[in-house]
Amino acid sequence: MARIQLNDVKKSYGDVNVLRDINLDIQDGEFIVLVGPSGCGKSTLLRMIAGLEPISGGDFMIDGERMNDVRPRDRDIAMVFQSYALYPHMDVARNMGFSMEIRGDAAEERKSKVAAAAETLGLSKLTNRLPKALSGGQRQRVAMGRAIIRDPRAFLFDEPLSNLDAALRVEMRLEIARLHQKLGATMIYVTHDQVEALTLADRIVVLEGGDIQQVGSPLELYERPANKFVAQFIGSPTMNVVPVEGGAGGITLAGSKLTLPHLGDTSAAVELGIRPEHIDVVAPDQGMLKAVADVVEHLGSDTNIYARVEGIGPMMVRVHGNIPARSGDLLGLNIQPLNAHIFAADGTALRRADAIAA
Amino acid sequence: MEGRAVIARATKTVVPRRPRARRSLYLQYLVEPFAYLSPAIVLIGTVILIPLIIGISYSFQSIELLRPFDSGWVGFENYAALWSDRKFWIALENTFFWTFWSVSLQFLLGLGLALLLNTQFFGKRLFQALVFLPWAVPTFLSALTWAWLFNPVIGPLPHWLADLGILSEPYNILGDPELAIWGPIMANIWFGVPFFAITLLAALQSIPGELYEAAEIDGASAWQTFSKITLPFLAPMIAITVMLRTIWIANFADLIFVMTGGGPANSTQILSTYIFTTAFRKLDFGYASTIAVALLLILLIYSLIVLWLRKKLIKI
Repeated sequence: MARIQLNDVKKSYGDVNVLRDINLDIQDGEFIVLVGPSGCGKSTLLRMIAGLEPISGGDFMIDGERMNDVRPRDRDIAMVFQSYALYPHMDVARNMGFSMEIRGDAAEERKSKVAAAAETLGLSKLTNRLPKALSGGQRQRVAMGRAIIRDPRAFLFDEPLSNLDAALRVEMRLEIARLHQKLGATMIYVTHDQVEALTLADRIVVLEGGDIQQVGSPLELYERPANKFVAQFIGSPTMNVVPVEGGAGGITLAGSKLTLPHLGDTSAAVELGIRPEHIDVVAPDQGMLKAVADVVEHLGSDTNIYARVEGIGPMMVRVHGNIPARSGDLLGLNIQPLNAHIFAADGTALRRADAIAA
Repeated sequence: MEGRAVIARATKTVVPRRPRARRSLYLQYLVEPFAYLSPAIVLIGTVILIPLIIGISYSFQSIELLRPFDSGWVGFENYAALWSDRKFWIALENTFFWTFWSVSLQFLLGLGLALLLNTQFFGKRLFQALVFLPWAVPTFLSALTWAWLFNPVIGPLPHWLADLGILSEPYNILGDPELAIWGPIMANIWFGVPFFAITLLAALQSIPGELYEAAEIDGASAWQTFSKITLPFLAPMIAITVMLRTIWIANFADLIFVMTGGGPANSTQILSTYIFTTAFRKLDFGYASTIAVALLLILLIYSLIVLWLRKKLIKI
């Protein structure tokens, strides 16, 4: 149970600034996901919160107390490592109860707490096994058990699911979500997988190149990305971004005008972003854009069309349900104006009028 | 209908043919593997086993170069002589003393050095090279050097020891039956610490860093981290290096032979120097082999105990 605040937190190795002026206010019980491409500094930030990396500047506070120079053991934070970091010479029960063993808690108390945690995680039958005799998913559970047992102020997860196979990843994702609901503890979770970020987070922090690009709820990031990077990073399949000509009353795209009333003045527009699912497919002569379907993927629930658009180039379109399109077909495409995003020359998104009003 | 046709076709193709003539099980499982292993077996046999068997057979013979006409099989006569040989029991006791103190001090200092070298500090590379240097010095040379260091006429050590109050006056401890064994032990420690430092450093570096981070977050103090993470990880390496070094040191005659020659009054005579002098000074190869077999048995029992302990205690 903790409120975690980062005020202008910095990290540099010599002259290299890895993180610049990170400001975050994490509420008690919030599930925060740090997401970004590899090398963006998200793991470094997590390790700074854990106390495994020194903080180069700024203030890091837990419940209003400055924690910059407090040792990890005194921060009362639990961490689940990407490689699990289980002690290979200790059985499951001892691994989970190690923090209590260190504190010198009574053996019976330790036993009952370990048993309770093992019960929660479905590990009861495995408590006297060594980590090497466990599967990846079970090891993951033990690592979580080790964190739970300490009843810490906050949980940190460093890409905990990246070593699991796809099916297990979905299962453990649910498990973590359930754990958060049950414990109601503050959790900070690092991942490069946007699906994990979108499904787990109360708020997502998108990091890139050592800067926070945007902080917001999953839907906020999806609907109102602050810039081109966030727009393309969040959402799958990736958003289409195509060059346009700006104008006060609307934009010009491949020779045709498009008015975007919700964006107000669009004279600064340089690029238009539109998600594949926000393009409608119509008869070839009716659409605003003419396109040829290059490849069509029928996924059952959706149809993905990789189209070559006249005057623009490749674009991806996703249509809900099955449509009888085949590769080589001529298509008409209509962009849903309300779902279009406009980016200025520096990549920032023009703010929506309704967002400004709100 | 079509399905049935397919099944019919399938049945047709799997009609078993006559089995080929099978090689006999005896040949296949009992002889063949050894045929493949034969080069290794021949090598091990000629280099290790045959000399070992010949050596053991010497212990049941009288082979004295000075009495060439008396040689021949004598049964357990050599062993009976060994049992009542006072010098053998003294040498055995000295061997335990020499081996125990050499190994334990080498191990403790080596572990300390390895832990130190596993951290970062200025000039580490140079320091590391210097630490590993003694291992590269020929033992004969280091034995002579240490013998001179202990000599009060040309060496500083007796004077330093006297100044520290350890010795009443600067005399040569190699000439004192009570203390002489410590001379070679000190030389041996100087010589053998690098071995432990190198091997333990390698083992230390193979411990995943996350375990220390996890322990740090779990709240472990430095000592707890060492005793609960580092030591269990080092244990397999410790077991094997201590075993190896014990065997080597128990067999290690060079330092003692050069520094004291087993004296004064047999106070530094260990089994391996006793074997050496018996064989090459008295030229009594039969009796020397008998002592060697006794040493072999002791080390064999010791190794079995260490290996059993290792299996019992170490889980990684």
